[in-house]
Order: sequence, then C-alpha cells, then structure tokens
Amino acid sequence: MTSADTDTRPDAGSTTAGDTEHGTAPLLTVEHLRVTYGERAAAREVVRDVSFSVPAGSTLALIGESGSGKSTIARAVLRLLERRGARVEGSVRLRGREISRLREHALRPLRGRVLGFVPQDPGSALNPVRTIGSQALEAAALVPEARSRAAREALVREGLERAGLTDPERIAASYPHQLSGGQLQRVLIALAIIPGPALLVADEPTSALDVTVQKQILDLLTSLQDELGIGLLLITHDLALAAERSQQVVVLSGGTIQEAGPTAEVFAHPRSEYTRRLQADVPGLHPDRFADLRAARDLGEGGGAPPATAPRVTARDITRTFRSTGGHEIRALHGVSFSIARGTTHALVGESGSGKTTAARALLGLERLDAGALEVDGRTVDPSDPRALRALRRDLQLVHQNPFTSLDPRFTVGRIVREPLDMYRVGDAAAREERVSWALAAVRLDEELLGRRPTALSGGQRQRVAIARALVLRPEVLVLDEPTSALDVTVQAGILEVLVRLQKDLGLTYLFISHDLGVVRQVADTLTVLRRGEVVEEGEAVRVFADPQHEYTQRLLASIPAHVAGAERTTRTQSTGSTGSTASTPGDGILEATA
Amino acid sequence: MIALKRVGQAVLVIALAYVLVFLVLAAIPGDPVSAQLENPQAGYSEAEKAQIRSFYGLDKPVLVQLLISIGNALRGDLGISLSTSAPVSSTIGEAIPSTLALAATALVFALLIALILGFASQSLGEGRLGGLVRSLPTVFLSTPNFLIGLVLIQVFAVQLGAFSIIDPETAGSTAFAALTLAIPVSAQIAQVFITALDTTTALDHTEVALSRGLAPVRVFARHLLRPSLLPTVTVCGLVVGELLGGSLITETIFGRAGIGTVVQKAVTSQDVPVLQAAVVLSAAVFVGVNLVIDLVLPLLDPRLRAPREAS
Repeated sequence: MTSADTDTRPDAGSTTAGDTEHGTAPLLTVEHLRVTYGERAAAREVVRDVSFSVPAGSTLALIGESGSGKSTIARAVLRLLERRGARVEGSVRLRGREISRLREHALRPLRGRVLGFVPQDPGSALNPVRTIGSQALEAAALVPEARSRAAREALVREGLERAGLTDPERIAASYPHQLSGGQLQRVLIALAIIPGPALLVADEPTSALDVTVQKQILDLLTSLQDELGIGLLLITHDLALAAERSQQVVVLSGGTIQEAGPTAEVFAHPRSEYTRRLQADVPGLHPDRFADLRAARDLGEGGGAPPATAPRVTARDITRTFRSTGGHEIRALHGVSFSIARGTTHALVGESGSGKTTAARALLGLERLDAGALEVDGRTVDPSDPRALRALRRDLQLVHQNPFTSLDPRFTVGRIVREPLDMYRVGDAAAREERVSWALAAVRLDEELLGRRPTALSGGQRQRVAIARALVLRPEVLVLDEPTSALDVTVQAGILEVLVRLQKDLGLTYLFISHDLGVVRQVADTLTVLRRGEVVEEGEAVRVFADPQHEYTQRLLASIPAHVAGAERTTRTQSTGSTGSTASTPGDGILEATA
Repeated sequence: MIALKRVGQAVLVIALAYVLVFLVLAAIPGDPVSAQLENPQAGYSEAEKAQIRSFYGLDKPVLVQLLISIGNALRGDLGISLSTSAPVSSTIGEAIPSTLALAATALVFALLIALILGFASQSLGEGRLGGLVRSLPTVFLSTPNFLIGLVLIQVFAVQLGAFSIIDPETAGSTAFAALTLAIPVSAQIAQVFITALDTTTALDHTEVALSRGLAPVRVFARHLLRPSLLPTVTVCGLVVGELLGGSLITETIFGRAGIGTVVQKAVTSQDVPVLQAAVVLSAAVFVGVNLVIDLVLPLLDPRLRAPREAS
C-alpha cells in the first residue's frame, strides 16, 4: 500500500519484485479499481472503487452473487478486459510493479509465468480440437529452462502428476471431451502451475463440479499453495467455501465492496447488512431455516392436509440401462426403490451420473423403464399409454433446473403460466385468468409481470414463473429437478421458502432432485442417496444427516464446506494464529452463525 | 461403417434427383419433339412423326420411359441431344474441363479471400478499419456477378490488356473469370468464417490461452482457426451450388464454352436430354462435395469421431 511511488516506474526491475516478495509489500495490490462498459450516456460502471491486496502465499476470497463484479475484478487483474471493450481505471500492482497500463507485449512475459489463471468452467476452458498434451506444452514453453521438447514434456508430466492425475501419458494424449469435469479442472490447474506463477487467480474453480470432486480440487489448490507458496485470489459465490479456504475476504455487491477483512472476523461479526443476509441464506449454515414452516405443515396449519404415511409416489426396483454406440452398457438405474408419503418431500441425492435425473424423467413418463414400476396414487406410469400419461401429468408437474432455458423467450409470463390450462382445456377464459393470478400470487410474483417476457426477468423471478406454471393445474406432485442450482444463494433461499410454504398450504408432495446436501437438509423429510444408479443409503433425512451409515454418504456430507470448517477448527486455529486474529477462527465463525 | 452409409445416402440422393428431374420434365405440357413435329412448316407425314416419336420412346407410358432412361443412364448412355443430335454424354463431357477449371480456381480464390478477411477481422479490432473489413462481405454479396465481370473485363482486358477476351481459355482469362465468380462466393464463406471466429474468440478457452501468455498470432493459429473451420468448411459445401449457378453468368460474360453455356442453350431449345444430364451432374457434384466434407469434418474435430467412452 505504501509503494505508490512505483506507479511512475512501470518498468521496475525484477530485483524490486524479488525484494518486495519477502518484504512488506504484498504480492498483488489493487487500488481504486473502476471498470466501465460502454461510452458516455450508455456507460455502465460494473466495478466501483475497489481496493484490496493479496500477500504472497495467502488466499484472498472475493465473494459475491452474480452481477457483483467479482469475475470482472479477476479479469481486470489478469488484464483480459480490454479485449471485451471495457475501460479499466485505478491501479493494479504485481510485486509492486504497476501492470494496469502495461502494453500487451510488455505484459505478456508476466502472463502465465507470474500471473496464473484457473477458469470457472473446465468444460469450455480448453481448446476442444487439440489434445491436452499439445496445450500443456504451450504452458511448458513459458519456462525458460525447458528448451528441448523432452524437457517440456517432462514438465507437463510432472505438472499433471502434481495436480493429482495419476496417468499423465493417457491424459496428455486425450482430447478435452474424453475427460470428466474433475479431470479437466485438474488439467487446468496443472497448466496454470507448470510455469510456476506467483499468483493464481481462480474464478469459481469448483462451481461446475460435483461436491466430492469439489473438495478434492480445493484440497489440491490448498496443498499446492502450501507447497509452492503461491498467492491465491479466489473468486466464489460460496460463502462457506470462502470461510473454509481463505485468510482474507472481500464481500462485493453491485460492484462495490460491502465489507472486507480477515475471514474469521468478517464471518464472526459481519458489520454490513449485506454480509449478514448473505450468511443467513447459505443453506449449509442454517439446516433448520424452514423448521417452523415445516412444523406448521405437520400440524396442518396451512390449510393443506398434514402429511400422511400413505405413499403418494412409489418406485419399485426401477431399472434403466442405456447402450452407447460402442455396445457399452451404462446402468443409469439399477433396482432403485423409494416411496414418498403424501405431503412430504423426498430427496434424490447424488452426483452427476448417479441416475437421479433418469429417475425423475421416468416418473414423468419421459423415460422408458427396463424393469420395475413407478406408481402415483396407485396409477402406474406407462410411457406407452399416452392417454393415461396425459391424465397422470395433470397431477404431476416438473420444475426444471435452469430457468434461463426452460421458458420460451417469445411468450409472455401470462401465456407461459396459462399454457397448461389451455392444453388441458380447464374452464373458460375468465376461470383461466383467475387461475393464473392465483398461481402468480402463490409464488409471490406481482401481477404486473404478466405482460413481460422472460428476458426481462431476473433468475429468481424466472424460476418463480416456472413454479407457477407447474402449479397452475393444481397438481398433487411436483418433480423439482435441481430447482435452485442455477441461482444465487439469496435467490435460492427465497425459492426454497416459496416451495416449503406451498407444501404447507396445498399439501403438495415433492420429489426433490439435488446434489446440494445443504439444501436437502433444509427441505427434505426422507432421502435416497444414489451412486452410479444404485441406492447407497436411504431413510429419514434427520437420521441420515446425523448418522450416515455408508462411506459414500459420509464423504458427501464431509464435502459440505461448512461441515469441514466445523470439524477442522482446531487445526485451523493453529494455522491462522499468525494472522493476528484473536477474535475467532473461520470454524468458530461458522459455528456461531449456526447457533 | 458410417462412411459407407453416407456414400449409400449420396447415391440415393443422386438417383432421386434423376427421377425427379425426369418426372418434372415429363409433366411439362407439350414435349419439345411434338412442338417441332406439329410445326406445319416442317411438313412431316404422320408415319414420319410416329417414327420419330418411337425413336425417342415418346409413344410409351411415362413410367416405361423412365425405366428405359434409367437403364440407359446406368450403361452410360444419356441419350441424344434434340437440338444438335450429338450424344449428350459427349456434349456434357466436352464442356466439363472448362467449367471445372473455372469453378476450382474460383473456390481457391474464394477461400483465400475469406481467410484474409477473417484474419483481418480479428487483428484489426473494433475500429474503423475493422468495421470496413467486416462490411466487405456484404458489399461483395450485393454486387451483381455480371457487373464485377464487366468491370474486370473493361479495366484489365480492354484498358490494361492483362488478358485476352478473344481467347477465353488462356490462364489469364480463366483467372479473371474465376475472380468474378469467387467474389460473391467468398463473401458467403467469409461471413460464416468471421462469425465463427468471433464466437471462438468469445469462448473461455481463447481467453485462457491468452492468459497463458501466448502471442496473438499463436492464439489465432492454434486456438481460433481450427475450431472456426468447422462451420466454414460446412458452408463451403453449400456454396458449390453458387459456384455452379454463377458459372452460367460468368461463362456467358467471358465467352467460355462450359456447362453453363450448354445449359443455357438446352433451356432455350427445350433440349430435355441435355437438361436432364446437366441437372443430374449438378446434383452429383453437390452431393459428392458435401459427402467429402462430411468425411473430412471428423478429421478437424475429434468430437465428431467415433465416440470413445468418456470416463
């Protein structure tokens, strides 16, 4: 912060950089950063006066929801914004050297070698038409000592191994589409660390991954950081993750800093209203958030009948096998059974490839079963009988995962919600309009939105529209396929509350598909844990969370970041003691917030 | 396996095109032979008329005519031209080399122009010059083919004497004819190419490659070009039709004796056998080129190759 004089010396030598690394100057200093898109009247300021610094070898987390400007800040640091037509003002200093106004050719030697980048979506961050190896060689070519191809190949091998990929030769010969998301993220981390950067900017490095993989990747980043002394700028929307993995946090909203400081302090005593709200909305920190509403439901206070033991939905030994073109068999579901009592929520929990979505599709009659049966109120779901299926679907509606793709952009909200009524020819025009109004009110959407189109709505509003569309036929059962996974935590909290209230008021039965155990713990009565198409564990949600029997369930539970923070707090106390924070540790912060 | 299936489909498409063209021409009222025979000035006797009709097989039902025609075509006999009485196969065969030279040269020119425009669009940025490059395809596309040809002839042949308009088969003349044909075709390819490059530029992996410290030229060659070639190559298959259609006008302007000229004459004189052969030839070229492209695409994009189990 004190080295403002280096501003005027953009070519400060590498000796200065070496000194400051061990001295008082931090690795990365961002001061009064301002990012604007567009010109004059149309100018949109997406980052406003943001300052922070990352010491060498430590982690600073930028936390915020979508639109908070956190990714923009990451790209401003990486100097990737100019090509997007943004105007960047303020100062970005790397080891005391001003880089925000360096010309591209002067900046290039710093890229990769000093400034590493781990992007968000591993599926799209690698060139799809070239092998991993050929792309990794580009990273190895940045290392000045590696002059021969053999030396570069050795570096690639070492990097891939270090990133936890046990078969580097095979990985190097593969194309991106042949690897899993977790493997790709490891590849990207390997590519970033091969040239030996001093700072890694990781933009949501795990949000596209399954929870257990997420934990492995974060552990990998942490251990590499300890091993190589890399400073980490971690961009995340996940508060619990930031609490667990960072020493400093900056909480952003609408492009401005809401709060900043040592992680432990910020979480133990959040000073801003925004941070408090954000924290309150993290499912992992508040398992009992909807306990009151659900207790009211059990007493039948909402008007809906209280839950009964009689099952509304039954799945008996359902089995579905897919055959790939190579004749290879993939067992999506294998002898899976579960039942959902009337007016309750049953969660199907699992990672990608667990078969949870296939089960939901089968229940909706969108997927044929090889064996077993699905029943709703004693009526068998039979995809080969369209008439019966159509009658059944009146009572069985779907809320899709992604509200950004599940609503027709050309339809108005009114037409979207009314469509099921038109299809089933329910009542006359006036009755339909009344139904639509009722459904919008049920999801707490203003009737003003009736004439709008989905593009004019926020993600949360869109998902409410999708729920209203599912509700308008007054079905008994809703299939909720990851209904909040595309949404921010505060928006998610609102949607979950709507769902819990609707269950209380209307006695709805939910099949809740999710990979997020924090959310499941808040809303589910019973659950089935699936892995590779088979039931691993099932039972009352309370029992499974308190006393998981299967090793896989235990591993899933251990990957909820808040859970880890609580469990590891003694070790964390020691490791963060040097930051001078006597108030508490991240773990304590979590526990206090939970209590 | 998949390749074999695609070849089979291609053959089927050509066969269907043959049948369709035959039926459409048969459905047109008043076949050209009858028109000539009924002309009172020709003065054919009834017996002569019947003889001529039976020579061309016109006295038989349409379906029988079709079967005979297919049988002949399979043996390489495409029939006799109505207007010149020469075998259709030799009429078409003589015209092919000229058109092939023209179309192939034009395609090469078009690809070069598109590649240059594509690279320029990415390296010049959003400024005035970049904007100019990006608007060029639209200008090319909206300039009539014959106008380009006439301007080129006026400037390069008449004023500068760069090529001869008397002998249309010289290399110089072919090159300028090809350029005339290439400009609108290049515009279509360039539009798709530039859009593909823009899309690829906006993709994460390009940004990540840039953050890895690669020089812009390398990013273009290694991370932008190949992913962007997929839609571009696909559109190349579609512009083949444009090349064939455009060759008619270009050949007329430059006085070349190619397929285009043959078709033009066949249309004006209602020369059904020649017309049929020309249409089927176009269909065969179109289908053949697209077949080759379908088989080449997997080489460019590993994701299109036979699926290997993802882990």
